[in-house]
Amino acid sequence: MRNLNQTRARGPLVMIVVMGFLAISILHLLLTIATSQSVYELSDLKREKRELDTTSQIIAEEVASLSSQQNLLNTAAKLGMVANSNPVFLKLDDQSVLGKPKPALGTASQSRNLVANSAMIDTKPAKQEAVPASQTQPQQLPQVASVNAIPASPTR
Amino acid sequence: MNHAGPVSARRLRLLITISVILVFVFLIRLIDFQVVRAEAINEESYEKRAVARTIPAVRGDILDANGNILATTVYRYDINAAPAIVRPVERKIDGIDQVVSVESVAAELARILDLDVAELLPKLIGTSHYVNLKKRVDAETHRQIVDLEIPWIFADPHQDRLYPNGAVAGNLIGFVGTDGEALAGIERQFNACLAGVDGKETFEKGVDGIKIPSSTVVIQEAKPGRNVILTIDADLQYQAQQVLATEVRRLNADWATAVVIEVKTGRIVLAAEAPSVDPNDPGKSPESERGARAFQFAFEPGSTMKAITAATAIDTGYATVNTPVRAADSMRVFDHVINDSYSHPPTNWTVTGVLRFSSNVGTIKFAERVPAKTRYEYMEAFGFGKPTAVGFEGETRGVLNHYTEWDGVTNYTTMFGQALSVSPVQMASAYQVLANEGVRLNPVLVAGCQDEDGNLTAVPKSNPTQVVSASTANDVMHMLEKIVEQGGIGQATAVAGYRSGGKTGTAEIKEGTGYGQYYAASFYGMAPIDNPKYAMGVMIYKPKKVWTNSMAAAAGYQKILSQVLLANRVPPSTGKSRDLPTEWK
Repeated sequence: MRNLNQTRARGPLVMIVVMGFLAISILHLLLTIATSQSVYELSDLKREKRELDTTSQIIAEEVASLSSQQNLLNTAAKLGMVANSNPVFLKLDDQSVLGKPKPALGTASQSRNLVANSAMIDTKPAKQEAVPASQTQPQQLPQVASVNAIPASPTR
Repeated sequence: MNHAGPVSARRLRLLITISVILVFVFLIRLIDFQVVRAEAINEESYEKRAVARTIPAVRGDILDANGNILATTVYRYDINAAPAIVRPVERKIDGIDQVVSVESVAAELARILDLDVAELLPKLIGTSHYVNLKKRVDAETHRQIVDLEIPWIFADPHQDRLYPNGAVAGNLIGFVGTDGEALAGIERQFNACLAGVDGKETFEKGVDGIKIPSSTVVIQEAKPGRNVILTIDADLQYQAQQVLATEVRRLNADWATAVVIEVKTGRIVLAAEAPSVDPNDPGKSPESERGARAFQFAFEPGSTMKAITAATAIDTGYATVNTPVRAADSMRVFDHVINDSYSHPPTNWTVTGVLRFSSNVGTIKFAERVPAKTRYEYMEAFGFGKPTAVGFEGETRGVLNHYTEWDGVTNYTTMFGQALSVSPVQMASAYQVLANEGVRLNPVLVAGCQDEDGNLTAVPKSNPTQVVSASTANDVMHMLEKIVEQGGIGQATAVAGYRSGGKTGTAEIKEGTGYGQYYAASFYGMAPIDNPKYAMGVMIYKPKKVWTNSMAAAAGYQKILSQVLLANRVPPSTGKSRDLPTEWK
């Protein structure tokens, strides 16, 4: 009887131990699943970062190519703009004119790019002879170039 | 039943005993593996699976004074294939699983990589695990390849250097080799700043040699390189190179340089030359055009040196702007005859007039009383005979022999820029002294090395030195203004609205033991005279299509000066030039 009573008394204790063990196991399982999930998420995020870095590089190269002085000069030449190395100033205090205004003729050669840049590919060659500003008619602003027309940086 | 009982019990005990022994043996073995030798076994196992890899540090950028990127690092990709596992590619097209033949995949690859499919296809056949299809394609191309999802194509990334503005300041920036080694210019001189520290990582690989995903462990993070900030204005540098390239063509010259220095800081705003190397493709330029002549080339300056001689004579009290000189067009010095560049009767010039008409004989007349030792010390103080503080790689010191080595004729010819040589930057720096009230500032090309927080280190010191008095410098500057105001060539350098001063130089070029038939034509000066902002010079080397060599540099000088003044919004000059007579009666 005494043994039977002792066994009965231990019953809840065993149940608690078994339940505790099961709870810990389930918790461990859940944590393992969560960790595994995080590892995959981390991996995905790293891949996404690589992709974004690549996109950033592609865009940065395009921007650098478009904003290079050679590209700007070619674009300006296409629009008929020419450099004028004869600036003229109007002095406001005595309304005098400093310098002789001259049209930017004879500077067409400087409107062509002469500085090499193999990191820039211009899809269309610049006009060989720029039109003086005085001879150009007001014209509609050009449409924004399509993405495909962006000069891309080549490799070397 | 009674007979069977003891036997079964014995067997059971035996079985239990054996089991216990076995468990005990396994337990000991387990403890040995898991506890006693666990670390060693783990290490041995990891070493077999793990692969160590260097994480290359990203090289820093080179930027101009306004933050424009002149050199940066980008990733390029080698596209490779593993022929041993080449097979048709399964793809889902319009929701339907399809198999794309190797030939079709090869055609797609050829189109993206700009290759001939007939050349590419044979590379995909074989038992090799590696064959390169194309080296160093850009990120856009690499992405297109990745999007094809071909399991037997893989890519190796490499760092590469990109110079977005091409040859703009290419001679200064230098370039790096395909292996990433800095080979020239700022790239090499400031390699310690630009290069970072490589990191290290390991990853595990399976039995098949393929990397196990998520097994990468970074042992040491890579430390990126820092940025080098130049004092150059890339836009002005480009415009100057454009002007020089135009002038080189127009004059059928060998090459040309231009240097502009900010008077109050010593910062080099531009150091241009034509032809100039495109660092993206340095192999296209001959070796002679890959350096920076502004720093590395020394030439006999000729008459631009007369301004320095005049400053020396005035500062030492041997002359003033009005000191009278009577000069013929030639004079005998020992067994040599020294001529002026044109015939004229004996003329009564002031020192101003001597500079205005660039008379060699007149220069000797007012400067011969200055001791050679004194003139030598002044030339040294102006910065001749030693490299500038920029310390550009391969920078010339020029030739300035010690005065004790000057023979009788050399003593005189050094007064008008012969028997010595200077670099274009040295001469521009000397004119910076005249424009800055006699105070010399070290020329600066690199503003510093910038870390990721924007802090600048290795900032050069300007080290101000009073070379001549302020009044002497101003006297010379006002004499130089007369050259621009009155001289035929000087007038061609004038920019409307601004008072400027300058001096022509037409130096013979040594060939063998004598002089050749071509010249180094230069013009050095400063502007605006009423508030000097810039000292500058243009040198055209061996112009062959000119009616007078002195004129060769004038047009380029005027165009570059005009751009510099305009781009920096320098207010037009006020006041008039000093009344300085050029002749005396």
